[in-house]
Amino acid sequence: MKEYRYMPEVKRVFQCTVPGENIRQVFLVDGVLQESPGTQNGITLSTGPEGRGLKTHITGDHSENPLQIISVRSENLPEPLEFTNTWELAPGAKAQIVVCDHTLKEHLYQTSRYSHITLREGAHLDLLFMQNEHGRSRYWLDLDARLYKDARLDSHILSLYGGTIENKVKAHLQEPGAVCNLDGLYLADGEQEIKYNIEVRHNSKECQSSQLFKGILDNSAKAWFEGLIYVAPGAQSTEAFQANHNLLLTRDAKITTMPQLEIYADDVKCSHGATIGRLDEMGLFYIRSRGVPLEQAHLLQQMAFVHDVLEHVRNHAIRVRLEKMVESRLRGEFSKCAHCTMHCC
Amino acid sequence: MGKTQGNMLEINNLHVSIQDREILSGVNLQVRAGEVHAIMGPNGSGKSTLAAVLAGRDIFTVTKGTVVYKGVDLLALPPEERARLGLFLGFQYPVEIPGLTSVNFMKAAVNEQRKYKNLPPLSSGEFLKLMRQKMAVVEMDPSFVGRGVNVGFSGGEKKRNEIFQMAMLEPTLAFLDETDSGLDVDALRVVANGVNKLKTKDNAFVVITHYQRLLDYIVPDIVHVLNKGRIIKSGSKELALEVENKGYDHIINAT
Repeated sequence: MKEYRYMPEVKRVFQCTVPGENIRQVFLVDGVLQESPGTQNGITLSTGPEGRGLKTHITGDHSENPLQIISVRSENLPEPLEFTNTWELAPGAKAQIVVCDHTLKEHLYQTSRYSHITLREGAHLDLLFMQNEHGRSRYWLDLDARLYKDARLDSHILSLYGGTIENKVKAHLQEPGAVCNLDGLYLADGEQEIKYNIEVRHNSKECQSSQLFKGILDNSAKAWFEGLIYVAPGAQSTEAFQANHNLLLTRDAKITTMPQLEIYADDVKCSHGATIGRLDEMGLFYIRSRGVPLEQAHLLQQMAFVHDVLEHVRNHAIRVRLEKMVESRLRGEFSKCAHCTMHCC
Repeated sequence: MGKTQGNMLEINNLHVSIQDREILSGVNLQVRAGEVHAIMGPNGSGKSTLAAVLAGRDIFTVTKGTVVYKGVDLLALPPEERARLGLFLGFQYPVEIPGLTSVNFMKAAVNEQRKYKNLPPLSSGEFLKLMRQKMAVVEMDPSFVGRGVNVGFSGGEKKRNEIFQMAMLEPTLAFLDETDSGLDVDALRVVANGVNKLKTKDNAFVVITHYQRLLDYIVPDIVHVLNKGRIIKSGSKELALEVENKGYDHIINAT
């Protein structure tokens, strides 16, 4: 069996055994870092103002050694919480970061997380957010990323469960050669509400960006997607793409999608597309005609729908785990990760 | 099923409508184990509707008649239960499902069937071995099964994939709806060989086709001509030749 790093006081209440080699786990409880600040293998962790929030500075290549930030809300602090995490990757640094947000109890938690990301020249960051709280929590993420020359950000936001989830992402492509890929998946049922507000700002020439956001809404869930691609004057040779696709499982589920382009340069390749649809009747019949029951056919079609978003997650072990979680989520199993001693949501 | 000599499938006076328009107007058909039937007929005669109704497509309404399959009232069952009883429909237009690989699709289908038979699910190794075996039956490129079901397949590849799925599921009664349409001679041979390899004394095939050409490869025991929702003539395989040489009008006018 593989050993994982835990702080003893956290271990008693929370365990998360994300499979995979070489994962380093860092715990934040109510925004407070659970280990001593310091530098280890080029990764410097420190805390923000008033001891809340995490500041991370990374040098060197850590692309094969994911850093997992497990951020939990405990019963000690039921009040609304706000904190800021900052991530800075030094020139040429490479990192894979998984942020898991959980709630330990069914309090009416309200959490605002600001994330400031700076990617210096040639830095690569693969960032994954797992938003898995409970049906009455309020979750707010405000992510602001600055990419310098030849930097690359691959961001995946998976909104699996939460009462209200708001994700605001702003990426600034500041120097030529920056590449920014933003993906998102949102699954909502009951009365849940999920908002995505995405803004990709091409402030420099010769940058590329793509966005792929997909959602499945059941019962009377509601979601909003606002996505803007901004191309500044002089940002020539820009390539920017955006796609937002939605599956509505009921008549009461509702999606509002607002793709927007603002282009002030003339040598650009940009596109955006949004779709809203239902499960495909003919496809369901085809699947059932091979002996697969209706419920399972529904699930297969939904898994097929989200497939390309999950496929973009490069870490194999994490992707396999995510596929299982998404599947159990779509089965309506409350998205409890089977690997936790405490239920995550 | 005490009567072993009985019919596997017995369709009696089947009437089917869609949006108040009658498409099948009293079809009678009996199929026994070990038989190969061919159903021919002009466009719009109801061939595809017959196959779809038997597989359980719910856009059609059965207004009269009965269908008994293996002693069971087939029309009372949802499509998946019909499939688990060994009924298979080879689609005229196989459906594309982006994001669902053939491997995962077939794994779900085969394991559902095994569950129904009280067998444990196949291990990954066993499953892959079975896939490889069945792909060989239709000379299918192994790379296809890792791709989305039918996505980006040519017409011929789609039909080949239908026969592959049939081989995986080993049905007792298969309806092949114009599996030959859009196929070149080589693909036709592969598809027909697939059927012939799967044929046993215990299963049966009903091949729906426009052309006698397919019947050179899959030799039918009985040929039926369907017109305006009714089978107007049944006969030996020579009937297919007669259709080919003289056309449907000749047969329709003679009856």
